[in-house]
Amino acid sequence: MRSRTLAVAVVITASSLVVAGCGSKGEAKSANAAGSGTLAIGASLSLTGSLAREGVLTQEGYQLCQEKVNAKGGVDIGGTKVKLDIQYQDDTSKPDVAAQLVDQFNDKGIKLILSSYGSANTEAQAAVIERNGQLMVDSAGADNKIFSKGYKRTFAVLSPATEYAASIVKAIAELATPKPKSIAFLSADDGFSKTVTEGGMKAAKAAGFTVLDPQYFPNGTSDVSSALTKVKGQHPDVIIGSVHLVEGVAIIKQAKELGVTPAGFGESVAPPTPDFAKTLGAQAENVLGSSQWTDATKGTDKYFGTAKDYAKDIQAKYNHAPDYHNAEASAACLALVLAAEKAGSSKADAVRAALSGLDTESFFGTIKFDSTGQNLYKPMSVIQIQNGKALTVWPTESAEAKMIWPGTK
Amino acid sequence: MSGFLQATVYGLLQGGLLALVAVGFSLVWGVMNVVNLAHGGFVILGAYVGWEMHEWFGLDPFLGMFVSAAVLFVFGYVLQRFLINLVINGPIFITLLLTFGLDLMIVQGMNLVFSADYRSIKTSYASNSLAFGSVRVPLGRLLAFALAVAITVLLVAVVNRTRTGLSILATGMDRGAARLMGIRARHVYALTFGIAAGLAGMAGAMIGTVGTFNPSAAASFTLMSFVVAVLGGLGNMYGALVGGLVIGLVQAWGGQYLPGTWVNALAFLVLIVVLIFRPTGLVGRAFYAARQEV
Repeated sequence: MRSRTLAVAVVITASSLVVAGCGSKGEAKSANAAGSGTLAIGASLSLTGSLAREGVLTQEGYQLCQEKVNAKGGVDIGGTKVKLDIQYQDDTSKPDVAAQLVDQFNDKGIKLILSSYGSANTEAQAAVIERNGQLMVDSAGADNKIFSKGYKRTFAVLSPATEYAASIVKAIAELATPKPKSIAFLSADDGFSKTVTEGGMKAAKAAGFTVLDPQYFPNGTSDVSSALTKVKGQHPDVIIGSVHLVEGVAIIKQAKELGVTPAGFGESVAPPTPDFAKTLGAQAENVLGSSQWTDATKGTDKYFGTAKDYAKDIQAKYNHAPDYHNAEASAACLALVLAAEKAGSSKADAVRAALSGLDTESFFGTIKFDSTGQNLYKPMSVIQIQNGKALTVWPTESAEAKMIWPGTK
Repeated sequence: MSGFLQATVYGLLQGGLLALVAVGFSLVWGVMNVVNLAHGGFVILGAYVGWEMHEWFGLDPFLGMFVSAAVLFVFGYVLQRFLINLVINGPIFITLLLTFGLDLMIVQGMNLVFSADYRSIKTSYASNSLAFGSVRVPLGRLLAFALAVAITVLLVAVVNRTRTGLSILATGMDRGAARLMGIRARHVYALTFGIAAGLAGMAGAMIGTVGTFNPSAAASFTLMSFVVAVLGGLGNMYGALVGGLVIGLVQAWGGQYLPGTWVNALAFLVLIVVLIFRPTGLVGRAFYAARQEV
């Protein structure tokens, strides 16, 4: 019996390794930039596995970018218009596979890369990109850690992780009356979420809030009851979750079950996702969230127009409301295209030089990079679920609605 | 103190739900010696059936779960009768590989049909809770817990008291002898697998009501079922219930007094410790390990 159990364990481990090893699915078309009239860009995406949902949204964003650019004749490289050709491979939501796929693109001569979804995948890819002399624009890896290693070839269009919870804190400090006194952070234990929590706690202390000890739980768990039970006795005025969708939904659901009622909830990542309000229904009302992009974002560019135009295009093409994961993907692709046009070349080094000097307005807001490759020039938006819709409430200049406070009745 | 009581109550309720998820897995493993890696897929499939019933017909998930059970029973029966039975005499690795492949197909199929969107079956009452002083007892989880206990008791009664149940038990103990007694092993196996899948479907509808799900959640339910089944022990219908409750409590208490990220490590630690002292699980029976494979 014991040996059988052991054998079973061995087989499960072995089979999961095998799956990880042969994770890439489908062959990319062999196309090359030189002479074929196309600009080939590689993109490893999490089309299956635990990040499939966000992976598909990212692909939609890349795909819309390709269509928009090609509809205008293509990318203008030194006076010649070449068609954009993004080649996709499935990394099955695994960082090691995502990194391998970057190598595979390199073997095919594809030097320009659009990132996979999430900080873990992007971090794994960034190291390979650096080694191979490729160039990557990062659409969804927000962890500041990626940019603290001295990499010169990874550029992120999105605001860094430290801003996710910090922007919610700033919005509450500015707009909530009566002003709450104490904040508790509940956080998933992955690198990205921990960085979000650190940034949020720093901002909260700076704004004069009493900050309770943060509570951590395993990334991807649907049971956060222990963390909630622990903070229940401390009666925080605000609970902020550094979470993804699953944990974010669990916080709201289980807080109701356990009778945890702060004046308001805020969560990174989860609330702007349409699934959040759909899944929670009335319980989602008045939850605050931070978003890389909303359709109220200011700015315009030649391929996508304004944020409102972008929202219409996504709705028309994919039949759902735009998600910020769509937008950040399109923005990453846009940055790469604009840099290639500015450089007048599709060579990685030339495009890299152009990217580092890029300073442009777009439907996504300002795209400009600091010396580490992060985009610190675009504020994040804070949204609040009101009547089932995610409406921008902060920054006030692009607000669509007033913040409702206290958020819980 | 109220924190401890709250954690205990919540842990027990969570454990009941885990038991309901794992009871079918344990049954199939105990009777047929098949470690069904597609079990988590069945659970999620049940959740989708419950969701569809609620969405299209407005059926309450506590009624919809019977539809889930029926659909999954048929699915499981057919799968076992016409597919898994083909390799049932092979080494355990073959059935393991087969069910692993099935799991990939079921999960990917659900991705295609239902998309990877997260869903939850919304009811007006499942998130409400009864207050006993400072301790809250969530209604949805309480119902799911009661159901888990009722199902386990019912399963024991069926297995021990009915002809069908006895034939399942007999086939599990010694297939050769059971055949000689005129039991149609193929049918009994398919029935067992169908019952297990049906129970998984029911559990899925419950999971969908108190939590959220999408296809990729399947793997974690398979893993949890594995832990619960091994911990509780095979060959005893109460094994999954005991295992589930222990894991639920350990996770709740661990979460309360240790850093929250240790809960999974703690669950596996308990499993290892139990296996050192009781290799057949908490209430498992040794003779199941020594049965004849004919």
